Amino acid sequence: MNVSPRLFALVPAAVAINLVVGRVVAELGLPVYLDTLGTMLVAILTGLGGGLLVGTLSQILSGLLGGFTYFPFTPVQWLIALLATVAARRGGFRGVPSSVGWGMTCGLAAGLLSAPISYFLFGGITTPGMAAVVTLLQALGLANVTATATASILSDVVDKTAAFLVVGTLLRALPKRILGRFAMAATAVGK
Amino acid sequence: MNGAATKSHPFTPGAVALGLIALTLILPAPRGTLAMYALTIVIALACGLGRSVWLGLLAVAPLWLLLFISQGMLGEGPRVAAPWGGTLSVAGLQWTVAQGARLGAIITASLALAATFNAHRFLQAAMARRWPFGVAFLIVATFDAAARFAEQARRLREAQRSRGLRVRGSIAIRARAIPALVFPLLLASITEADDHALALETRGLTLPGPRTAIDPPRDTLLDRTVRWGTLALVLFAAGWRVWR
Repeated sequence: MNVSPRLFALVPAAVAINLVVGRVVAELGLPVYLDTLGTMLVAILTGLGGGLLVGTLSQILSGLLGGFTYFPFTPVQWLIALLATVAARRGGFRGVPSSVGWGMTCGLAAGLLSAPISYFLFGGITTPGMAAVVTLLQALGLANVTATATASILSDVVDKTAAFLVVGTLLRALPKRILGRFAMAATAVGK
Repeated sequence: MNGAATKSHPFTPGAVALGLIALTLILPAPRGTLAMYALTIVIALACGLGRSVWLGLLAVAPLWLLLFISQGMLGEGPRVAAPWGGTLSVAGLQWTVAQGARLGAIITASLALAATFNAHRFLQAAMARRWPFGVAFLIVATFDAAARFAEQARRLREAQRSRGLRVRGSIAIRARAIPALVFPLLLASITEADDHALALETRGLTLPGPRTAIDPPRDTLLDRTVRWGTLALVLFAAGWRVWR
């Protein structure tokens, strides 16, 4: 495996960010996860390969710490890394409107990918928060498959929009000295 | 944490946990999955990992309840009378038991493995086995970073709260706390990357060639038997499911 020293330094920190920020947000009791910030950040700073690596390691580690039920959702992390890279190359983090637009697109795509995994492998019951939404939608009369798809897409759109906003705000606030070290990050914010 | 699992070779608990998870997914539900959940609990308790069983129970209990409501009460298909009145879906109840046991076994096995995992013993074992050093280093460095960032997040939260940050109240108030709690962590990961990279390079991290394990964990006959036995069991179960 040919990994640069910078990536060796960034990847563990980014995986830790995914896990720790996810926990911080859960403690705040907000209806988002923000557990892909590290994946997005490394994908934007170093390219798709770094993002894929962070996404995979994050799922392995969160699986180890919380149950390997999360592992089948690894392709969702890969998709987010891919879309974050595409957004960065197209200057998708220039301002709030573009971040929101890319975040919603990414959320929709992630929701469409995670819904079948959630339904076919887990019957819609994955995390307690998601399971509660699915159950509520079923109680309102939706079939399990529709409830799972609706809950997945809604939660992912909100979550990824918030994640793109956070990462965009951070990238725009970075001093030029640091942005200069990461060419794609500078493109992402249009500098 | 003082049981057999922590004293064994670092690859052995991983092999057993992955084997249990694989068997839980392979064996027919609900009897197979229930049996595997029971076996997972027995093995964890025998290895002195009762806390992982308890934590697993706490993690999976809300999911059981929601499974019961979502599948048993609101599920479709033929229905049977519930003891307290009303009806329950037969297929939903079967799915609830099967999936509940599956989730219980997987979560308990994962938590037990996490409780026994020692990153530095794992690195020594991986080096002794001539694993690619980059892979082994990334796993260990990630564990170290997770612990470091978790501690940093805890201190940050206390510091920001003492400066007046509100983490309770409406969604808007709690959402406003995100930048104060999250941005410093994200910034630290970026700004420290080059310093870490330089340190890693000067220590020869990216140099090619094998590394010498200073204190490799002992790989006993029992360890090897357990690992190969687990693999054989998984292969046998998979074959049985395919050919029966």
